[in-house]
Amino acid sequence: MLVRSARTAVLLAALPILVLTGCGSPREKGEETPPASPASGTPQRGGTAVVSWIASPTGVNELTNQGTAITTEIIRQLFLQLVQEQPDFEQHPPTMAPQLARSFEWSPDHKVLTFHLREDAVWSDGVPVTADDVRFTWQAQTDPDVAWSSAFMKKNILDAEVVDPHTVRFHFSHAYAKQVQDVNEGVILPKHAWGKIPFSKWHDSSDWFLENLVVDGPFTIGSWQPQQDVVLVRNERYWRKDRPYLDKVVIRNTPDAASQMTQLFSGDTDFIPQVQPGDIARIKADPRLDVIGYWFRLYVSLVWNSHNPLFADPEVRRALTMAIDRQKIVDTVYPDGTGRVGVSPIVQSVWAFDQTLKPLPYDPAGARRILESKGWKDTDGDGILDKGGKPFAFTLISNAGNQQRNDAGVMVQDQLRKVGIRAEPRVVEFNSLVSQAVEGKFEAMIFGFQMDTSLDMTAQFGSKSTEDGNFGSYNNPEFDRLMVEAMSKPDIRDSKPILDRIQQILHRDQPVTFLWESQRLSVVNRRIHDVKPNVLFSLFNLEDWWAGPAR
Amino acid sequence: MIRFFLRRLAASLLLLYLVLTAVFFLIHLAPGDPAAFLLNDLRLPPEQQENLKRTYGLDRPLPVQYARWMAATLRGDWGRSFSYQRPVTQVIGDVLPATLLLAAAGLLVEQALGLALGIAAARRPGSATDHWIRIVALFLYSQPIFWLGLMAILLFSLVWPVLPAGHLRSIGAEDLSPVARVLDVLHHLFLPALVVGLATCGPVSRFVRGSLLDVLGQEHIRASRAKGLPESRVIWVHALRNVLAPLLQIFAVSLSSLLGGVIVVEVVFSWPGLGRLTFEAILSRDYPLILGTTAFSAVAILFASLLADLGHALADPRVRDA
Repeated sequence: MLVRSARTAVLLAALPILVLTGCGSPREKGEETPPASPASGTPQRGGTAVVSWIASPTGVNELTNQGTAITTEIIRQLFLQLVQEQPDFEQHPPTMAPQLARSFEWSPDHKVLTFHLREDAVWSDGVPVTADDVRFTWQAQTDPDVAWSSAFMKKNILDAEVVDPHTVRFHFSHAYAKQVQDVNEGVILPKHAWGKIPFSKWHDSSDWFLENLVVDGPFTIGSWQPQQDVVLVRNERYWRKDRPYLDKVVIRNTPDAASQMTQLFSGDTDFIPQVQPGDIARIKADPRLDVIGYWFRLYVSLVWNSHNPLFADPEVRRALTMAIDRQKIVDTVYPDGTGRVGVSPIVQSVWAFDQTLKPLPYDPAGARRILESKGWKDTDGDGILDKGGKPFAFTLISNAGNQQRNDAGVMVQDQLRKVGIRAEPRVVEFNSLVSQAVEGKFEAMIFGFQMDTSLDMTAQFGSKSTEDGNFGSYNNPEFDRLMVEAMSKPDIRDSKPILDRIQQILHRDQPVTFLWESQRLSVVNRRIHDVKPNVLFSLFNLEDWWAGPAR
Repeated sequence: MIRFFLRRLAASLLLLYLVLTAVFFLIHLAPGDPAAFLLNDLRLPPEQQENLKRTYGLDRPLPVQYARWMAATLRGDWGRSFSYQRPVTQVIGDVLPATLLLAAAGLLVEQALGLALGIAAARRPGSATDHWIRIVALFLYSQPIFWLGLMAILLFSLVWPVLPAGHLRSIGAEDLSPVARVLDVLHHLFLPALVVGLATCGPVSRFVRGSLLDVLGQEHIRASRAKGLPESRVIWVHALRNVLAPLLQIFAVSLSSLLGGVIVVEVVFSWPGLGRLTFEAILSRDYPLILGTTAFSAVAILFASLLADLGHALADPRVRDA
């Protein structure tokens, strides 16, 4: 009786809440989707899109708010860069589309770069965007008190000279390949608004920047609810008067991937920037949803610590690669075909990839022959190769929370056992893995690296970069010399033969075993059109998104 | 009574100091460097890395960092979050109302269900009802709370879509009337509060059942029954009163497990509270924020324990004289 009473009480208490469901929230009723136009392929102005993101943004000043990708994504919608790198790097180096700068030109010695700014670009308070803002931004980016984490990219820039209100000239210490990328790193900030507080106070002023937000990008902040959602609304003073199409973009913080999927299927979310391959079948079965895949510039590799005598010999590392069936691993961890075997740090979707490179064959017998020639034999009959009384055994670490890499570790263990090598896979927390990597306290590990379009591989394989990314301590003076040579040419296209040679050297030496490259999979509700995420930004063309009848 | 209070207060403060110190050093002993998060980019030149560490005070020796942090904490300054670039107290203050709301609602469900199930089981010990309640209570208690949360979402948001799958409010809720906004929050609160309550009501129900059975066997209850009082009056008025004092104790103990459960539930339901903040702070090695959220939780639990002790002492003189 009492239980029945209690149950009734709970249900009664729930009643008004359940009744609400029938009303539906404004979003659920689809009120903000504009009515269908006669031509459903024609972009329409208005409407709201809901984007779901695992992490939450931390602020609006990219120089002091370090960290999450969503912070950067939002900031790129608020502020413009001088030019915008395009994702068209498959056939040639990426082009730079005009953004705040209408055009740019080089001096004959390639040490002075002049930008001509748009005259029609204004801040959201009506003040024109000028060369003073560009110089102010450079000063902030390089100020020690601001301590911007990407300040090192500005080290070769000697000055940002204001020629006139719409012309700014950057002076470099020397000519090299990444000059435009270095200048263009970072958005241009409003001097008249943010210059009111000294750089030394910037780290204490996160709220102040938000309260004194002045933007020149397509969107501005409508509301900022910590841990909940950030609402972007149209900046009415954006120089492209016909953009953005959407009135509002709600960026909801949903920290759990399973919850993200639930909200996608319940129609509460329109776009998720990254979903797991395992969810694709379910998503494709829903006619409201569309999957967008694009090759990511991330390669996952098995890093051999060459300080360990087991992995010091390039021939042995080749044998290890040949003993690992990478195709089988890729087919297993990417059963839907969204992965492929890696072969170079320059991934296959980038113009500079050496097309002549082919993955080393899966050849356990050949691997065993190489190992035997190096003195590795099973002398005690325990099934494990040994030399000088020491077995060929090591620990292979990968980071927790990444099922694909953890699964690959187990498969590697199984495959290496067939050639007489004992690999012990161990899953460690990501921060712990990074610590071990930086300190060189590991034997082998599965790690992912992302290459930018500068194609500078010094961090991953340079002999002086052992704490920066060359965790396996690969040391090859020829690589070092060629990399410097490739990066010193102002036009990276001229370095293609050198980049090919570098890739061939890495292929020969196998400082790492390249395991796979993969696609990143985004999902969008078909009622949102022209969504084109890419490797640069998931919200790359947010100003072009529009809401309308489902495709 | 005052002596009792002061003794308990001193013990609580000492415990708080030990907890904070332990957390400080444990965080720094854990693998992973906050600089790795701050620096974001492993390719940073060493001088840039040092510059950033200096900006955040991470270049000082650990004992110095500890002394500075403890001194600042005593002054009420809990430092500045690395990731949010805001005072920790402000960051916590922003999310605290959501956590308090969820914890209070979860506690309400836990106590109501625990009490109802415990009484129902005690009324007919050994009966089928008693067995079923025990099985259900043990089942709920033994399930990982995130699993319960996901199943609840699956059931009530997808299969039978009557409740939202997460978040504190609907998109566009700011355009609703104040009453509708409150109802909107309650609509979102229902499922996570139910999950928190369901996951933690098991021990309460077992405790209520055990205590009630003890009381029901006592002479004054038999006398009440012999007088012909209705059974409901015997239980609700005479027996339950004797169970409430020890229930207060278990309430304080369950607060810590409730807070633990809330952390997980907040992540599963995208609830913008202290638990999720702690979770994100740990992932990003945001030391000041981890210390701030831990210190806050410790203070809350110790404060609740202190209150429970006082309540118990007021109800039972033997406790304060012990």
